Amino acid sequence: MSGKPAPAWLAELQAHFGAALRTPLDRSTGTLRATPELYDAEVLAEIVDSARAHSADRLAVYNRQYWFRLFGVLQTAYPLTVRLLGHWRFNDFAARFLRAHPPRDWDLDRAPDGFETFLVDALADEPARDALLEAAQLDSAWRAIFRAPATSPFAPSPEDAARLLDAYLEPSPASAIVVEHWPLIALKRALASTAGEAPMPLPPRSRDSRAWLLVREPLGIRQHALESRECQLLLLLQAHTVRDALGALEALCGDTERAALPAQTQRWLAQSVARGCWSGIRR
Amino acid sequence: MTTLPRDALGLGLRLPHYEYLVEHTPALGYLEIISENFLGVALPPQQRLEWVRARYPVVLHGVGLNLLGHAPLDERYLDALCRLADRVDAPFVTDHLCWTGAHGVSHHDLLPTPYVPELIELAAERAQYVQRRLGRPFGIENLSSYVALRRSTMSEWDFYAAVVRESGCWSLLDVNNVYVSSQNHGFDPREYLRSVDFSRVLQVHLAGHTQEPDGTLVDTHDHAVASAVWSLYADAWRLGGPFPTMLEWDARIPPMPEVLAELDKAREARA
Repeated sequence: MSGKPAPAWLAELQAHFGAALRTPLDRSTGTLRATPELYDAEVLAEIVDSARAHSADRLAVYNRQYWFRLFGVLQTAYPLTVRLLGHWRFNDFAARFLRAHPPRDWDLDRAPDGFETFLVDALADEPARDALLEAAQLDSAWRAIFRAPATSPFAPSPEDAARLLDAYLEPSPASAIVVEHWPLIALKRALASTAGEAPMPLPPRSRDSRAWLLVREPLGIRQHALESRECQLLLLLQAHTVRDALGALEALCGDTERAALPAQTQRWLAQSVARGCWSGIRR
Repeated sequence: MTTLPRDALGLGLRLPHYEYLVEHTPALGYLEIISENFLGVALPPQQRLEWVRARYPVVLHGVGLNLLGHAPLDERYLDALCRLADRVDAPFVTDHLCWTGAHGVSHHDLLPTPYVPELIELAAERAQYVQRRLGRPFGIENLSSYVALRRSTMSEWDFYAAVVRESGCWSLLDVNNVYVSSQNHGFDPREYLRSVDFSRVLQVHLAGHTQEPDGTLVDTHDHAVASAVWSLYADAWRLGGPFPTMLEWDARIPPMPEVLAELDKAREARA
């Protein structure tokens, strides 16, 4: 629309008001507390004191709402990470992330986008960094699968089958491959039905890593265990043609393994299609 | 376009309600959805919406239009809103007389502006544009607020009435918001009601609020409707009923029978 622009004073007022809303909450007393004494004089000058409360205290209502709403959204997006860190520490990371990346979209659910990338540096001094990052990546994958649009699983036509070897397969946005070194998927599922703000102890690191294919199904997100080579194949297929992926996988295998590979890759490929790993051939 | 009976009673649809709705499909005049929750492409909410729409009329209530932001309206947002309204054949679409973001940051809150004639013109022009784009009635909701701005030169109710009148749009009168603001700013809520042109009231909202330790009322939608708000609702009904009414219960949501019982209180208040 090309209507009359808003007056300049409105932009200025909203800049001051917005800055007050985003004033970080103080953590020094062990609770999250608004600090009205830090609000700009410009914004306080715009607000009338009421008989019941000072203008700064009223502004603090909005200030607290801003932060608690966003903490809630991030906690919902990263449910496993928040349980491992505990609410208090998680909210600290969330606040630091949001100060650097305030929400810019009308879609509140986009506010957490990029939080797991932020944690890569933010958790640098954390002894359990690798496990926490794995948890954040798992939460992120889970969230992406949930938010994916409707997709039809790939059902190769005879024409597709003929050119499949030199085709790139399109990964379904409603699926993800995750490799875990701690039993985090089981923990995530177990914690889904419980509540608590204190940090949960991290389970011991697994002796071997485990690979999973996560796929959205009508009743929720389903996990399929992947064999090690199967996982490698699916990951190679995300970046290479089928022919090149098969070649690259073969190059990784020793002679004994290589002999059994054609039958196995055929089974893994068919299984990945049946499980809804792909949405089609990349055009 | 679907229309609602003037006395329709509806409920704000929230995630915890789905299970009960699927199991019991209670008699409800309509459901109101938060527009932004369904503007995306994620499949699960879209599937739920399909289910609901097949059984109930659905109206759209937005929290992200940013009608009084200093920046122009977001056309991408409006495109998505129009598509959603068409898809569910919404009898009407509503949003708030407020700003929600500025200078590229979205605060995801409903924030007040000063009540001045200059902003009546701005809000009315934009609301009129939104209604034209939607091709269906657009209702503007009065705000609950916690601060009063020094630049205001008129009452909130005169400002609100003027925006509705000048825009040719409609009024979504939130009775709880009237009450919350009246207590926070010390005005008579009945004076507010007397300024409302009920022939332009598209819908009335009811909700619960919370009292802060310093006495400030906050529009939290996490309690049952307060008795003072029921009394105000009864007055509004006498002044301008019938009008479609909707209950919002967004947090600490009790079991659905308790929510539905709250709608029964609306029936009683109309008697």
